[in-house]
Amino acid sequence: MTDKNSTAPAIAVEDLWQVFGENAAPALRDARGAGDDKAIAKELKDKTLIPAVRAANFEVKSGELFVIMGLSGSGKSTLIRCISRLIEPTAGSVRIDGEDILQASDKRLIDLRRHKLGMVFQHFGLFPHMTVADNVAFPLKMQGAGKAERRARALEVLELVGLKGREDTYPRNLSGGQRQRVGIARSLAVNPDIWFLDEPFSALDPLIRRQLQDEFLNIQATLKKSIVFITHDIQEALKLADRIAIMRDGEIVQIGTPEEIVLHPVDDYVAEFSKDVPKGRHACVESILMDGIPDNMPDDPGIKVGMTLDTALTKCMELYEPVPVRDAAGKVIGAVHPHELANALQAEET
Amino acid sequence: MSAAEAVPANAGRKLALARGSQAALFVLAIALVCRLLGAQFEWLMKWPAALTVPMTDWMTWLVGGFLDVFKPIARTFTFLVSYPMEGVGWLLNALPWPMTVALVTALGWTIGGLRMAALGFFGLMFVVFSGYWTEGMNTLALVAVSVPLALLLGTAIGIAAFEFPRVKGAVNALLDVMQTVPTFAYLTPLLVLFGFGPVVGLIASAIYAAPPMARNVLLGLERVDTEIREAAVMSGGTRRQQLFLVELPAATQQIMIGVNQCLMAALSMVIIAAVIGGFQDIGWEVLLTMRKALFGQAFLAGSVIVVFAIIIDRMSAALAEPRPQQDRKVAFGILGAGLLVTLWSVFAGWSPSGFAALDGVAAWVDTGVGTFTGNHGATLDTVKNTSMFYGLLPLRIGLAEAVLPFTWGFMWTAKHTAMLYGVAAVISLILMLKGRVTAGLVVMILAYVAEIGIAHLAWPVVIFGAGAIGWVAGGWKLARLAVILLGLVLISGLWERALLSLYLSGAAVFACAIVGGALGLWSAMSSTAWAIIRPICDLLQTIPLFVFLIPVLMFFQIGEFSAFLAICMYAVVPMIRYTRHGLTSTPDEILEAATASGAGKWQTMFEVRAPFAAPTILLGLNQTVLYAFAMLVIAALIGTTGLGQSIYLALGQADVGLGITAGAAMAILALVADRLVQGFAEERRQALGL
Repeated sequence: MTDKNSTAPAIAVEDLWQVFGENAAPALRDARGAGDDKAIAKELKDKTLIPAVRAANFEVKSGELFVIMGLSGSGKSTLIRCISRLIEPTAGSVRIDGEDILQASDKRLIDLRRHKLGMVFQHFGLFPHMTVADNVAFPLKMQGAGKAERRARALEVLELVGLKGREDTYPRNLSGGQRQRVGIARSLAVNPDIWFLDEPFSALDPLIRRQLQDEFLNIQATLKKSIVFITHDIQEALKLADRIAIMRDGEIVQIGTPEEIVLHPVDDYVAEFSKDVPKGRHACVESILMDGIPDNMPDDPGIKVGMTLDTALTKCMELYEPVPVRDAAGKVIGAVHPHELANALQAEET
Repeated sequence: MSAAEAVPANAGRKLALARGSQAALFVLAIALVCRLLGAQFEWLMKWPAALTVPMTDWMTWLVGGFLDVFKPIARTFTFLVSYPMEGVGWLLNALPWPMTVALVTALGWTIGGLRMAALGFFGLMFVVFSGYWTEGMNTLALVAVSVPLALLLGTAIGIAAFEFPRVKGAVNALLDVMQTVPTFAYLTPLLVLFGFGPVVGLIASAIYAAPPMARNVLLGLERVDTEIREAAVMSGGTRRQQLFLVELPAATQQIMIGVNQCLMAALSMVIIAAVIGGFQDIGWEVLLTMRKALFGQAFLAGSVIVVFAIIIDRMSAALAEPRPQQDRKVAFGILGAGLLVTLWSVFAGWSPSGFAALDGVAAWVDTGVGTFTGNHGATLDTVKNTSMFYGLLPLRIGLAEAVLPFTWGFMWTAKHTAMLYGVAAVISLILMLKGRVTAGLVVMILAYVAEIGIAHLAWPVVIFGAGAIGWVAGGWKLARLAVILLGLVLISGLWERALLSLYLSGAAVFACAIVGGALGLWSAMSSTAWAIIRPICDLLQTIPLFVFLIPVLMFFQIGEFSAFLAICMYAVVPMIRYTRHGLTSTPDEILEAATASGAGKWQTMFEVRAPFAAPTILLGLNQTVLYAFAMLVIAALIGTTGLGQSIYLALGQADVGLGITAGAAMAILALVADRLVQGFAEERRQALGL
């Protein structure tokens, strides 16, 4: 899914800080002298300020689905609000298609939001006094589009999210899943290039959540937006993301593809997240190599370094003796016992 | 329960007295000093006249000058506003009543279907038959012009407070003042400013009705979901688009509650403003007939006001509820029928100002009341005298003066004083031995109050007593506020009148707390009781203040007891409501936990529900206090002494200085009482983690 060929990043975030409290900006400037980011954060905390986002640095490539994941209170919602400038960051820069939006005037910002940005909210943020169609068409109304045009486009987007025929009901008459479809439709109405989604599926039942995730992937496959997606659910992150940024206490601790996050967690915190993940899909055979290599291995099903446990297990379903593990060059570097393989998977599933 | 058990616990506590005990000890010490040395040092009992600041004169000078400057502008405004007012008045009067009835009925149908239509129809038909159609329409004309003004003003203030956080604090303080300053106190400066006439009532009601609107607009805007707000931002709306297309519409429900309160406040104030006279409106009619002791007529006119209040209240309240769309054709049908009847009435030569068909009822009420008071005069007098001699009077001037041979049957002597303090000391000692030090100390203070009476309390006791309560309820800040504000009243020379007001409202609040609390408890325990009490509460809260005076006067004539009753009738409602609401709104889980622990119905009530309800009940008490002060001023019309009377007198003489200082003193009393009770409510809420 990762599109490596794209050129300039759609979003570039550099050294972004969001500090809550009185006189945050000067306090942050003063604290800069303290040294590294941790020391700065500590100094701010000592002044009873809250560094909600600390020195965030990342890029979202054009057409990339970038997921920011962390526990509640880790600053992910604050971060997305900084990028969309719903709140004013304390320091740093956010470039969208090369334009620093923190320097943008109010007028320019309104213009950007009318044409380029779309956002979906956790609790939907639907306007209770408007029909579904009016909700969806609201950004178009802000653009100054005519009534007929708005209606036509609203119906078009509503069909995309599978809400055809519900356009004249009010949000209060819809179920949670349907409401979020309206939220998604509204954010897509102006056909934005950049799409922000703030925990869009967190308030939904697990079943509806999975259904919407799949539909979301379908929509993204055709629309190819540049996406910042917030979630606290590692499963969701792994399922959807091209790349994941993991946040803790306002800090981004690791950025990587889902594989990298599961297989090479930078610290215990990240490892803790992936603990409950069925590793069969992400962990590889190296993690359960036997001590030493047995002399006699009758079977060789062709297990290679970097193979996931799931794949390895299907290859040695019928085997009971240890099998060799070879590197890319075909050299035997170790062995696994099929029994261990099965055990490892079972343990992870529970 | 033996003393031996209690003493160690007590001894442990003595080292570190609880906050309440410290405060009570402090007040008791002051009371002791004042009681013992009051005779030698007169300044302890009475603030020396030499140290009194002539605030009333200053106010006359200051505000008088201010008013002189603004008078031309105000008079121009009067001139301008008189046109729409007269226009609307002319329209309402020129419109034949069948048409007006049809319009209101059709409106009722559109808003709330058959029920509202019936309410509108029967309500207005009553007005038609009461013979007060013209007066009623004149009152409505005032409301119709003042309400849009108030709505506009309120919305603007609400939006400004929301948009500019710096303005918010100032606006909130201003709104507090606008609502605590008694209604009559507005009228005097307005009278000077805008000149004699109905415009004063109009302006006063606009000022009085704007704050509830502003508060609800602000509250509604603040309660709009953050994500809805953000969705509007991300849709690329300008600030103005966000506000008018998203935030205000999303807050509609709360704003409609504001509209309802605004309408009711405006109506209430328009009626009160009738005391100025000069306009043929229904409030004036009530006042006039009341003064002439034509109680039947007063009752009828009062009923017209109540009918208006109910129609306006229920219809505008229905607007705030989500409601189904009604069939438009029916509304047009009603209008058509109205038109036909109008045409018919023209041919038949019906009087355009309705019929006075209910004069018989008025006469009947008059004779009925006359017969009743004639037959039961002795009983009524007994009720009145008993309450006065054994309740109100001792509270006001103390047992030492109230106990006389012709009331109590004996003369109060030093021996009785000693007995009073002796009994109090014994009770106090027992309480203290049981470890309830604060309660023990309070008993001693109460004994002092009982002997001396509220009106004769030494000023240090009142001021520092309020300060001590403030300290317990909300710390030094609240204590300072109470002492400074009451100190202002003390040096203004209005102190004695303020104490009289304090006594009457205090007595009423005390009675309301007991009666209202009991009724609230009963309503919480039995749904049948609530089914009976609720509509009465609804009715009492809809009636404009003024009307409460009529039934009281009918039976008890002019006097302090009547005022007391009128205040109680009005102020008891929030106590009932909040008590019931607090007691019934305990979360289900907590109740289930209590049941699972084996608690019975009454155990649950007192051990679980009551503590949980405490903050809510305190808020109810707070409302009761404010209601009592509001009514106190109105009750001045039927004979109270104190600040209310001063305000009323000032109005009669157009004495701006007295009107404002007395009004401010009243507002200070209300404000201090309000803050003290709220402090306790807040403390309880925090203790419960709510």
